[in-house]
Amino acid sequence: MMGPAKLEISNLTKAYTGVLALDDFSADFDGGKVYALLGKNGSGKSTFVKCLSGAVIPTSGEIRIDGVPVRFKGPADANAAGIAVVYQELSLILDFTVAENIMLGRFPTVGPGNITVDWKATNAHVQDILTSLKIDIPVTRKISDLSVGQRQVIEIAKAMSLNPRVLLLDEPTSALARHEINSLLEVVRSLREKGVAIIFITHKLNEIRGVADYVTVLRDGRMVGTVPIDVATPKVIVDMMFGETTLKSRPADLKVGEEIRLKVTGLKRKDKYEDISFELRAGEILGIAGMLGAGRSELLRGIFGADAIDGGAIVLNGTEVRRPTVARMKTLGLAMTMENRKEEGLIQIMSIEDNLCLASLDEVGQRGFLSHFLQAPVAEKWIGRLQIKVSDALQEVQSLSGGNQQKVVVGNWLNTDPKVVFFDEPTRGIDIVAKQQIFQIMWDLSRRGLSVVFVSSELEELLEVCHRILIMEAGRFIGEVREPENTPIESLYAMCMGETAK
Amino acid sequence: MTTTDTTGRAKDKAALRAPIARRPFFKLSDFVLEAILLAIIVLLAFTAPGFASWDNAMNILRNAAMTGIIAFGMTFVLILGEIDISVGSGLAFFGCLLAVVTDSMTATGWSAEIGVGAGVVLCLGIAILAGMFTGWVRHALAVPTFITTLAWMAAFRGGAYLLTGSFPVTPYPEWFFFFGSGAILGIPFQAFVFLLVFVVTWFISRYTVFGKSAYAVGGNAESARLSGINVLGVRMAVMAMIGVFTVLSAIMVSSQIQAGNPTVGVTWEFTVITACVIGGVSLMGGKGRVWGTFVGVLFLSIMLNGMTLLNIDEYWQYVARAILILGAVLIYQVQAMNARRG
Repeated sequence: MMGPAKLEISNLTKAYTGVLALDDFSADFDGGKVYALLGKNGSGKSTFVKCLSGAVIPTSGEIRIDGVPVRFKGPADANAAGIAVVYQELSLILDFTVAENIMLGRFPTVGPGNITVDWKATNAHVQDILTSLKIDIPVTRKISDLSVGQRQVIEIAKAMSLNPRVLLLDEPTSALARHEINSLLEVVRSLREKGVAIIFITHKLNEIRGVADYVTVLRDGRMVGTVPIDVATPKVIVDMMFGETTLKSRPADLKVGEEIRLKVTGLKRKDKYEDISFELRAGEILGIAGMLGAGRSELLRGIFGADAIDGGAIVLNGTEVRRPTVARMKTLGLAMTMENRKEEGLIQIMSIEDNLCLASLDEVGQRGFLSHFLQAPVAEKWIGRLQIKVSDALQEVQSLSGGNQQKVVVGNWLNTDPKVVFFDEPTRGIDIVAKQQIFQIMWDLSRRGLSVVFVSSELEELLEVCHRILIMEAGRFIGEVREPENTPIESLYAMCMGETAK
Repeated sequence: MTTTDTTGRAKDKAALRAPIARRPFFKLSDFVLEAILLAIIVLLAFTAPGFASWDNAMNILRNAAMTGIIAFGMTFVLILGEIDISVGSGLAFFGCLLAVVTDSMTATGWSAEIGVGAGVVLCLGIAILAGMFTGWVRHALAVPTFITTLAWMAAFRGGAYLLTGSFPVTPYPEWFFFFGSGAILGIPFQAFVFLLVFVVTWFISRYTVFGKSAYAVGGNAESARLSGINVLGVRMAVMAMIGVFTVLSAIMVSSQIQAGNPTVGVTWEFTVITACVIGGVSLMGGKGRVWGTFVGVLFLSIMLNGMTLLNIDEYWQYVARAILILGAVLIYQVQAMNARRG
């Protein structure tokens, strides 16, 4: 085994037409250490990753690994030089086993002509890799049988199987629940001992505490600085990321009204949730907390009519609904932004304008006719109100950052003139400023007397935003927090883990 | 930096006065196909004997119309991310059904007008029901339209032979031949139908809620469903629409050949899809323009016509068609990649 790696970056610059995505970036990353790389959307993080992975060629500057300057013409060069990248989107083949995925493209072979895969050696080799990383997942298990968190761990194992000197993790936890994050961070900690320089990109300030040695911050394509983790308080980090910004908390003037907007009684869906009853009042922001798989999204989808329900009653704005469908619930004033905005909330190849009119096509259109001239004012309005950063409403929505895409989803639904809005994980994978704007939207809705249900895996968000929080576990409500502002995060976390039920 | 006003539907007057996003009125790179077509027309006018004449232009239009009408329906099918490979067989089947119905009605004492009328109604009914069924099994049972229309392809071709006993049926009166051979002001009747169907489908694709819904379903059916769009309705309507256009084409082909013939329309489905692809319609769904298909249809017809006038061997025409398809797709892909790179 070689000694600790060293990655040095000097004056790295990447210019796109008119924009400096990376501006004279210099930093050193030592092996055996974990660096949390932070920066809001558009700060140059992804350009940095692309330069290191060989996906783009830097305009100027130098990258040195163990003192040797390297130049990448493509991802293969970066791999060969000892840089491995694990992306947010998983690249595993679902129908293949763990071992097959890790050894793909370089299977050991036996027999005449070396054309037969040596499965025994494959599995044994992968087992060694997993053991050395303290990963306890059977090598012959199919990826499709693994949880999202386990898949992410296998993705890391696959990158590590190439014996890299530098490992980049691009938001590996963004789709994971808290207990899964913990086991993933465990794997990252064990990588440290191998002398690899680890760069861990994330939006989540709280999770870097358990794993990072240093915090490196990027802003506007420039390096702001690297600080040891023990001096990196949230205030220090946020100041570095944004200059000067203050985090907001729920305004005091948001009142919960008397009128019941949504009443759910005895709702159930087989194997997902059962015996669900709650009321939602005008102006109320109700949080639903719980671990991944507790049934939160499934419950909202059931009420919204996206999935079937097996029993129970829903009364929305005074109308009883036994068999909800999306079209019906939409007419009755219910809106929902989906957990999975890319696949379920947006049509990526359509324009921002089209995506903002998707749920209200019948209303935006006039007697079935529709045109750019009817749609444009709608797009203009929501782009302005929600401060969606776009240069042209006719460009494809996939060109936007995560936070702006989320705002398009929200605008699409607000344009249906709803009375009740469900937000399912609206803050996943978006930066702090965009998050604060999403919270602000919820508060504005509340101020106007609309009701909001907010599902999030980030418990502190729920405490910050909601009037009341229901806790869900294994498909049931097991507790309630009536005064989120006076509840410490630890006790909410404990309740979610089912340790104490209030 | 905070939003203060985030609710209410954007149809109020203040919002309607908001400035409309400006888009570039003309971008040359959007008209590559048109430019190439223009160049070819000029080239053929100088090289191909008889190309630059009114009669030949009308001849091209007449030929373009038959497949072109179906191509407009196919454009919507492809935008949905579906495919219909039964249109060639459908053309034969509906032509034969029309002939057989007319034949037996006139044989039992009805007038030819009533016979043809009843035949057309029956054809339209079957085409619409078959299309709706295809759309329904696609939606409810996730059966790919390739499979369902593969079955229709066999059923229609077999049906055409069974109806006619494999011989052409010729029951038509003189006036019926107008649809295939007649002209108004020297312009073939088919050309008017072709232009009419073009305008109607172009309008639907650009200026209706239904058209936008079709793009949405093709772009991402799950997002469309979760936005409350009637995905099943869109799928059934689009598959029925191409059926209607197939019947229209079948009427004109029957009129032109003055018979119901079970052998017509072989490989037409590929000619139709070729025209769409040349016009830039994506087989992945969500992308495509009716105008593109219009140009694609003319492109294909003009190329074939020009090569025939130049006495180029029929087999070489297949090679030319291959180059055309690949060339068009390569250009579109390079353009798309450039656009993505920004």
